[in-house]
Amino acid sequence: MTTNDWLGVFFALVSALGMVAVYFMVFRPANKSMFESQRSMALDDEDHIGEKR
Amino acid sequence: MEATQATPVKYDMEVVRWFTIAAAIYAVVGTLIGVYIASELAFPFLNFDLPYITFGRLRPLHTNAVIFAFGGCVLMATGYYIAQRTGSTKLWSNGLAWFTFWGWNLIIVSAVVTLPLGLTTGKEYAELEWPIDIAIAVVWLAFGLNHIMTVAIRKTSHIYVSNWFTMGMIVMITYLHVVNSLAIPVSLTNSFSVFTGVQDAMVQWWWGHNAVGFYLTGGFLGIMYYFVPKQAQRPVFSYRLSVLHFWALTFGYVWLGAHHLQYTALPDWTGSLGAAVSLAMIIPSWGGAMNGMMTLSGAWDKLRTDYILRFLVVALAFYAMSTFEGPVMSIKSVNALSHYTDWTVGHVHSGALGWMAMVAYGAMYHMVKKLWGVEKMYSEGLVNVHFWLATIGTVVYVVAMWVSGIMQGLMWRDYDEYGTLTYTFVESVSAMHPYYTMRAIGGLIFHIGTLIALYNIVMTVSRAGATRSAGSVPAKA
Repeated sequence: MTTNDWLGVFFALVSALGMVAVYFMVFRPANKSMFESQRSMALDDEDHIGEKR
Repeated sequence: MEATQATPVKYDMEVVRWFTIAAAIYAVVGTLIGVYIASELAFPFLNFDLPYITFGRLRPLHTNAVIFAFGGCVLMATGYYIAQRTGSTKLWSNGLAWFTFWGWNLIIVSAVVTLPLGLTTGKEYAELEWPIDIAIAVVWLAFGLNHIMTVAIRKTSHIYVSNWFTMGMIVMITYLHVVNSLAIPVSLTNSFSVFTGVQDAMVQWWWGHNAVGFYLTGGFLGIMYYFVPKQAQRPVFSYRLSVLHFWALTFGYVWLGAHHLQYTALPDWTGSLGAAVSLAMIIPSWGGAMNGMMTLSGAWDKLRTDYILRFLVVALAFYAMSTFEGPVMSIKSVNALSHYTDWTVGHVHSGALGWMAMVAYGAMYHMVKKLWGVEKMYSEGLVNVHFWLATIGTVVYVVAMWVSGIMQGLMWRDYDEYGTLTYTFVESVSAMHPYYTMRAIGGLIFHIGTLIALYNIVMTVSRAGATRSAGSVPAKA
């Protein structure tokens, strides 16, 4: 195993664990309301000065 | 703390207007070049023995025009637009935004000059020579800095998912472009890659597929997650799914590039890894496509009358199809048939025309109405005509390439009872003629749609200007 091989293994594992952590965070029932409260964020922005000429 | 809507924010939208108009023009130019080179493949006399307009020189000009000129202007327009609106803030630096506009356009002009002259690195989707590569890095970093700082000074507590997709694209494309473009210059117009042999191929496709993944997919998903809810006037179906979509793409896409190099000198396991992760990526990709489509739950009737929404929804259908087709093509047994054939070209165009261009036009039409303060486009009917031309043109193109690609693959590997190849290569080329003609027709249909879009946008802008001059609408900026 060269240094590059070990670096590859390290980053592969970090990525895999990171993905698991994201799945856990997103699907944790306690976080549902926190995420879904942002559902309509795109609709909430109003037309402000400068948008229309 | 959420922004209080009582305090009006003055957005910096002039640069967004210019990027939008530029995108509409580049779409016309890029697809026109595409139609011409497609016609050259069907009718080679169109080369006219002029080296400047041969397929080999115009093809990179076509890809640069549609991906970086058209696509880049759309991404920068929407990036600046969405960051301001979802953050209730103006741009961090309007001056830097104008630098990105003129810098990006200067790079495009450089490509128009150098590529027909044959000045190229020969690296696919990264053909421009080293001085232009440096300029791309500088302008792209300026865009990245401005976008990220605009998000940083937002007045809202949450960073909307579209901005995450855009920032992911900015970070990854910076990294990919710089590493892939590392070269030793020997003159102002010539250089050699620092990578050699199989490493060069690996780096090339690490860049190539991630340009698809983070630029043509991630960047345009950022557009989708803002403009689909906006146009449908419905909240995103599942915000949790959108977050998962972003992180799954970000973690997953970087592993895929090796699937472009099956059955080459690359170690076998790297191609297998690329194919395995490609198949795994179907899950988040389809999750995202379903998320976009389900956003229309309870509002499907809008598709009857809202032609802009049609662009966005059909784009999602093509996104779902392309993100299924790609992983299937990466499987070794399928790749043995599909690789080096026109099937790959068809796959790329179902993504580029069906997904990228469709979602881009949906966003552009939406923005034009907002940016110029008009209720309707100059002609809503022409939006509908454009939609059908774009859809039919894409389908004709893709079907032609599917048939020709599979036929090529089957002809190339067919052998008789003595183990001799049944067909010569030139026989396979000759058999492609009807499909190459059909491809050129499909491209032409799509190109006519871009012309109609440009006309409609220009007339909308002109009429808005005339109305403003007449004093019927007070100018606010």
